[in-house]
Amino acid sequence: MNKKIKASAAIVAALALSLGAFAATSASAATKTYTLAYQGPLSGGEASTGTDEQNGVKYAIKVWEAANPGIKINLVSVDDEGDPAVASKVAPGVGANKKIIGLVGPAYSGATIASLPYYKAGNLTVISPSATRVSLTDPKSPTVKSDYGRPIFHRVVATDDKQGPALAKFATKGIASAKVFVFDDQSSYAVPLRGYVEAAIKKISTASLVGTGDSVINTTTDYSPTIAKIKTSGANVVIYTGYYSAAAIFIKQLRDSGSTAVFAGGDGVFNQEFAKLAGKSGEGALLTGVAGLADVDATIEADFKAKIGVSSGVYAVESIDAANIFLSGIKNGKTTRAAMNKWVKAYNFKGIAGATIKFNQHGDISEGGFAGFLVTGGKLVNKGPVA
Amino acid sequence: MFDVFIDQFWQLTFSGISLGFIYVLIALGYTMVYGVLRMINFANSEIFMWGTFGAIVASRDLFKYTQTSDPVTGPKLVLVLVVQLFAAMAFAGLVAVLVEFVAYRRLRARGTNRLATLISAIGMSIVLSEVMRLLTASRPVGSPRILEKIILTEIWGAQIRLDTLITILAAGAIFIILERFVKLSRMGKAIRAVSMNEDAAKLMGINLNRVITVTFLVGGLATGAAAFFYVTVYEYTKFNIGFTMGLAAFTAAVLGGIGNIRGAFFGGIALGLAEVYAASILGTQWKSVTIFIILVLVLLFKPSGLFGEAVTQTRA
Repeated sequence: MNKKIKASAAIVAALALSLGAFAATSASAATKTYTLAYQGPLSGGEASTGTDEQNGVKYAIKVWEAANPGIKINLVSVDDEGDPAVASKVAPGVGANKKIIGLVGPAYSGATIASLPYYKAGNLTVISPSATRVSLTDPKSPTVKSDYGRPIFHRVVATDDKQGPALAKFATKGIASAKVFVFDDQSSYAVPLRGYVEAAIKKISTASLVGTGDSVINTTTDYSPTIAKIKTSGANVVIYTGYYSAAAIFIKQLRDSGSTAVFAGGDGVFNQEFAKLAGKSGEGALLTGVAGLADVDATIEADFKAKIGVSSGVYAVESIDAANIFLSGIKNGKTTRAAMNKWVKAYNFKGIAGATIKFNQHGDISEGGFAGFLVTGGKLVNKGPVA
Repeated sequence: MFDVFIDQFWQLTFSGISLGFIYVLIALGYTMVYGVLRMINFANSEIFMWGTFGAIVASRDLFKYTQTSDPVTGPKLVLVLVVQLFAAMAFAGLVAVLVEFVAYRRLRARGTNRLATLISAIGMSIVLSEVMRLLTASRPVGSPRILEKIILTEIWGAQIRLDTLITILAAGAIFIILERFVKLSRMGKAIRAVSMNEDAAKLMGINLNRVITVTFLVGGLATGAAAFFYVTVYEYTKFNIGFTMGLAAFTAAVLGGIGNIRGAFFGGIALGLAEVYAASILGTQWKSVTIFIILVLVLLFKPSGLFGEAVTQTRA
């Protein structure tokens, strides 16, 4: 390093230091800052879900900051790509960062399981807007004990053991003799959900399972073997547990093969992008999901668009609700991890959709369920709750 | 277990061959470069991905078709498809040449070992896919339906669909053109000369850099053509599709004997068929397992691949 560079580096460093000091003093004098985090897939193939959810959290913070001058919320974005392997790398740092007093997320069940040990160790309370795997809140879970998230894991979304029967019922509704072919995308979300769907189909008197089913990893683009199986099985209903982008590719190929079987999918397929990608082939598809922000309250949706710049996406309602639980805790002076955990455990208020949010001892909410949606004219049209 | 296989045999075969032809063209991209440089161009999978975006940019941004527009008919259909094909080939060819220029040329000039070039290739492939990820905000991109997927006829219960038929015929034609180019043209001879002995070729006055650029270009064009067929059949792309397709095509190239153009052809078709057969008999979850077991077995008994013997004659 020559002298000139050294000198200019020193100036830059000094400048940065003084600026930093200035920023720090002005911040502490006027406002208090607390830190929350959002965890989900913010890059990679599932980034759409994470970005949508984080926008919900950002919106909740913006609204709350406007109502509570003097307190600033610093939101840390934790990108796990929806991938357990990535989650286990980023979670230790989040768990150790004591500034973070609450975390919205993780978005996906697999990533949640990988992150849990670190958050349990750091007593960091998490509220997931979308992790639906049953074992997370089931102490008798047949899988390893580490899945069970008590006392730090909570979620504001109903679980797959409720979704499975809802999806089975919605898909076979009004069909005199439903022959159902079920297949999954091999993910830790889809495989158990497929189990719940199949169990529920067996209980419906007018429906039966046909064929051997299939399990197709979601990077596949050629579904001809699966379609061959559907044809051989003579199915008139096809249920897919997996995510929207693969579902859109599949439904096009199914329709192009001349099949008119009913197509149904779970909340992984429930995304506006599905209707967009599938085009005309997606028409008539039946999806279970949770009502979007626009369905719940059009004025909030308009405000959302004005403040964030884009329309709300999937799990917007859940993300806003989850963020609001932490924000109300901060307002009530719960600014340590321990105090926040107690606050969340005792929380009992209405969410923006009107249902009461109150967690049971395992971290599940009692109210809330799945609605059925029909793809019509490229839109997901809410057909009301499936009970 | 075999009921689907027996019931849908011809349908599966037809689908497998059409998928196989897409693999053939991508495998050409790998095999051409390997033949000349003795190096796996790991960025080829991303060259393919960029090609798919080329095809979609043509139909969506140039011709302004949307997801909901009706399929095109008449002479305009041919025009749009040809423009899409050229756009995909141009995108892929350009990226391939760029990759060669940025990632390999300087390393080669400095005489670095193969490992450095390999790392550079992997680096390029990450750069290409991440740039596309940022450009598309990680979202999948659907292609407008240009070609109506008419079921032309049924033969032994197999639907002969227009898009898959076009894929087989056109991809076959492109393969033959490229194979003839390498075999008969002056440039093709130069490519083969470099492949056989780089130093001797240089002494004969062959411009090495030019030959290598053309090799990358031809490999890129083949890969771009594959990207066009992929978009026409599956109407979908995303920044990360390169990996799966690239791995499959690479496997096909190795199966047939990498560095060998005809090997890429038979490897691609064999792989396409093996995939659909395995998926129909054992379940799709066993597809990759079966394919790689086949690959390992072939390499155990014939390390140079199925067509390894003929390398010296037909090597690209």
